Amino acid sequence: MEKTAYQERIHLQQKALMGRYYDELTAAAKGGEGKAVYMLISGNPIELVRAFDLLPVYPEVNALQLAAKKQSLPLIQRAEEVGYSVDNCGYVKADVGLYFSGGVTSFGTIPPPALILCNYVGCNVYLQWFEHLAEYTGAETYNLDIPFVRDPEWRILPKDVEYVVRQLEEVIEICERITGRPLDWKKLRQILARSAETEELWSAIKDLTRNVPSPFDAYFDAATMMGPLYCLRGSQECVEFFRMAHAELEAKVREGTGPLPKERFRTVIEGPPPWPYFRSFRDLFSRWGAVCVASTYSTVGGVWEFGFRHDPQRPLESIAEHMLFWNVTNRNFLQRYDQLRQYVEGWQADALVIHSIKSCRLFSAGQGDMREYFSKELGVPTLLVESDLEDPRYYSEAQMRNRVDAFFESLEHRKLTAVRQGG
Amino acid sequence: MAIEAILEQCRALVEDPSSFEAVDRWKAAHPGGRAVGCFPVYSPAELVHAAGMLPVGVFGGGNEIEIAHADSRFQSFICSIIKSTLELGLTGRMKILDGMLFQNICDPARNLASIFKRNFPDMFIEYLHLPQNLGSPRGIEYLAAEYRRVLRALEGWTGQPITDAALRASIGWYNRTRALVRALYQVRAEAPQLLSTVELYTLSRAGVLVGPEAHAQLLEGALATVWDRVVKPKDRLRVVLEGSFCEQPPLGLIEGIEEAGCYILDDDFLLGWRWFSQDVEVDGDPVAALARGYADRSVYSAVKHDLREPKAKHLLDKVRTLKADAVIILAPKFCEPALFDYPLYRKALEEAGILHLFLEFEEKMWIFDRARTEVETFVESMLFD
Amino acid sequence: MPYAETNPKIYAAGVDVGSTQTKAIILDGAGQIAARSLIDTGANVSRAAERAFMEALASGGLHRDQVAYVVGTGYGRYKVTFGDAQITEISCHARGAWHLFPGTRTVIDMGGQDAKGIKVGPGGEVKDFAMNDKCAAGTGRFLANAAEALGLGLDEIGALSLKARAPVRLSTVCTVFVESDIMSYLGQGKKVEDILGGIHSAIAARTISLVRRVGIEPEITFTGGVSRNLGMVHALQEKLGVRVNVSPESHYIGAIGAALFAAERAGLIRSAA
Repeated sequence: MEKTAYQERIHLQQKALMGRYYDELTAAAKGGEGKAVYMLISGNPIELVRAFDLLPVYPEVNALQLAAKKQSLPLIQRAEEVGYSVDNCGYVKADVGLYFSGGVTSFGTIPPPALILCNYVGCNVYLQWFEHLAEYTGAETYNLDIPFVRDPEWRILPKDVEYVVRQLEEVIEICERITGRPLDWKKLRQILARSAETEELWSAIKDLTRNVPSPFDAYFDAATMMGPLYCLRGSQECVEFFRMAHAELEAKVREGTGPLPKERFRTVIEGPPPWPYFRSFRDLFSRWGAVCVASTYSTVGGVWEFGFRHDPQRPLESIAEHMLFWNVTNRNFLQRYDQLRQYVEGWQADALVIHSIKSCRLFSAGQGDMREYFSKELGVPTLLVESDLEDPRYYSEAQMRNRVDAFFESLEHRKLTAVRQGG
Repeated sequence: MAIEAILEQCRALVEDPSSFEAVDRWKAAHPGGRAVGCFPVYSPAELVHAAGMLPVGVFGGGNEIEIAHADSRFQSFICSIIKSTLELGLTGRMKILDGMLFQNICDPARNLASIFKRNFPDMFIEYLHLPQNLGSPRGIEYLAAEYRRVLRALEGWTGQPITDAALRASIGWYNRTRALVRALYQVRAEAPQLLSTVELYTLSRAGVLVGPEAHAQLLEGALATVWDRVVKPKDRLRVVLEGSFCEQPPLGLIEGIEEAGCYILDDDFLLGWRWFSQDVEVDGDPVAALARGYADRSVYSAVKHDLREPKAKHLLDKVRTLKADAVIILAPKFCEPALFDYPLYRKALEEAGILHLFLEFEEKMWIFDRARTEVETFVESMLFD
Repeated sequence: MPYAETNPKIYAAGVDVGSTQTKAIILDGAGQIAARSLIDTGANVSRAAERAFMEALASGGLHRDQVAYVVGTGYGRYKVTFGDAQITEISCHARGAWHLFPGTRTVIDMGGQDAKGIKVGPGGEVKDFAMNDKCAAGTGRFLANAAEALGLGLDEIGALSLKARAPVRLSTVCTVFVESDIMSYLGQGKKVEDILGGIHSAIAARTISLVRRVGIEPEITFTGGVSRNLGMVHALQEKLGVRVNVSPESHYIGAIGAALFAAERAGLIRSAA
């Protein structure tokens, strides 16, 4: 039976970097520095915040850390005590519970916000989440309104870019007021250049999974790399991290090794992972020799593998385009089908796995239709399993295993039949 | 026509939301005319009407249909209106509608728009972005531009230009029906025994099917005769009902809540169709006027995020203005926006010393005994305190 | 059927460890059922698996050494520690149903805890499957709660439901709320058979909508504990508009499928596909 104990420099360094990031948050909380800017992951404009030397704080990252460290349930329950529904998003509940508990976690203390910057990129829950935080903390709040991709030809509308740029200018004014100094455009351009470099490396890394065997798992290992990508993008240490990661993974391609001793199935995974059961969920797939070669979750903060880069020459415009178009959450559901189809075809996958989570309806609502499209129209073997990204009460190990096993039993049968028929 | 006859007519129209008979009749009277379904909440019916089409309120399938197909597309944790609306489409009940208009009210509605596009390629599907940055003048400018984009899309579809004059006329029609509905709500607030909430609701809801011209007639008739009714006021709890802005409770549930011992002085049913608290201006640029109307004079709800004022303040103001005794939060099961509003409402109501009852419902409910028992107990606890 | 008799002295077994009952089937070299057992699972799952197997051996007058291969299936399949392999009951149900009804292309399985739809290939293999969501019922447990609320036995309700003349409509298929709905209907003076008719119809609709995820193609074979409920068979047939296969062996179907896989792997019979 195969267990996953894939830990290399990437994983160790990631831990160190994220540890330092949380130390920075703790120091800001203790020092009362008033420089925390709360933001959301989807299409985040971290470059702008960093240009003011403000500190980005992502309640989603805090919530997922809590879940991964199995500390989310008491906080969720605390939120439910004051009226949050069992049917509401677990990220929000864990975060609200954390706020009511003083923001102290085992991995750091979350500083109160100097600014709540709600980058409304696709997810409507974001708006209510930050509306609640605004009410509880009394902090200044700005809704950065990002129109959803709705053009029939899926184009970026110039009026949308213009609208977002105008709003970014308003955000700059607010940050100038909070910090007491004007925006240093040169610094912003430098940060954007480093982001572009990081994005180049990240795209190259994601391209490596086209190899057989894939050098890393594009769901479980990609999730590890997403911490630095969102919390530290634009910094030199982030560039260094991705340079190291790229070298390490390229070496694996040359050696012909991957995360498992033998790659038997290649999957594409849709939907966020079950953080409270991250490891045991991964083991369900490792046991079958299944490696994920591409995932939509690794594109929530940005879709870079199809060529988009931040552009120091067009600072606000490129930030706006990233927020509007180059991330999975602001794209419409059919664009996601298309992205997944490209992954299945371009990365030579055997199957699509849809992890349908209750908390995030942006991801999950209607995945039955997605399943219908892939299994019936495209003939791609598709597995749909349900759980949650934050709430451990929605994960049933026995049921999950049953479904995953049955799916791979049937995939294995297909492979055997194909071999037997010389296919 | 006396109000009783009008009410009977309206009830027949709205009793089964899975039938669009009124739309059939409209089409028979308007050969070649098109009908566009408007999904809640803030759907700009004026734009559709100005294009010479019939805007039709689509509020799910009610409790008359069985969900046999949509369950396999949307998960069990998704609210009912999403599934029943898709079911209406998948079972061909929506064939009479030529298009659908959605907006960014919540995540499932967003994905529903895409799923409609894939499953009904012959339908005209438009998705409107309502700005959520209302503190900035940019938001209002953007909404005007977005309305213009939808107008151009409608023009492209029909090949007919939509003039400012036509749009002004449409705004005028909807101003008129909304003013009449507001007047009926005023009756309700002053003399709730004269017009039950379910009666008011059916009067209001008939309008989403028959168009504003026919609706205005019905409403004027009702308003002219409602004061003739002789009904003795009862000793009932006066409440404000909040939470049902999108998915609609079954008629039987609305009746049940009132019969359990309260007068619902105000509610948020069919919100988008009565979304302006005052008339929209009819002079000047009509598109800009509509956009300003949304930003500055539209009613609040769980899906409009205006940071200029806490949402709970609106609810408290409503309770105080109407001198209500209590609040009933009636939230649709699995509706994330409505459920998220509750903790903030609860906090504000408790701080203000206003009692409330929290209930969940589903449009497909068929028996209401449980809800009724809860309301009765709540009323008893307050009246015999 | 493509069975090749090799050694009649050699047997293969399938043990299906469910949450309430454990079933064992032993096949002879011709693929015929030589012995079987059915016991309550109880708290000790490993011991139940072992006991069911031993009881089946005893009932057939067989010795452990005569069994060449054992496959465990069901939720407790990993507790069949003496087994040679574990295979999910989804694969086993498909295989078992196809064995009993070779024309099977769709399996509707309704057990105590879950419901599933399986699309079956021409060789009895799983093409696709879907299982019930977390918040949804449509299972034996729901029927058991309904029976209890009406003060009836689980084995009585199916036949009674067939007498319904005006089935009621159910607001919910939520196991928790069904009791209060039933109480309300009883309060309104509805007949028990009409309430039951409504319940069976609602569950059938719910289940069919689940099975639609994989597509419904005839022949359809109905398996699992609930397949013994005539009212449910009737409700499914009425809504599907076609006849469904039901076998008296249906609660053994997982164990039969497991035993067939065991016989294949032991080389007793040829592989199906």
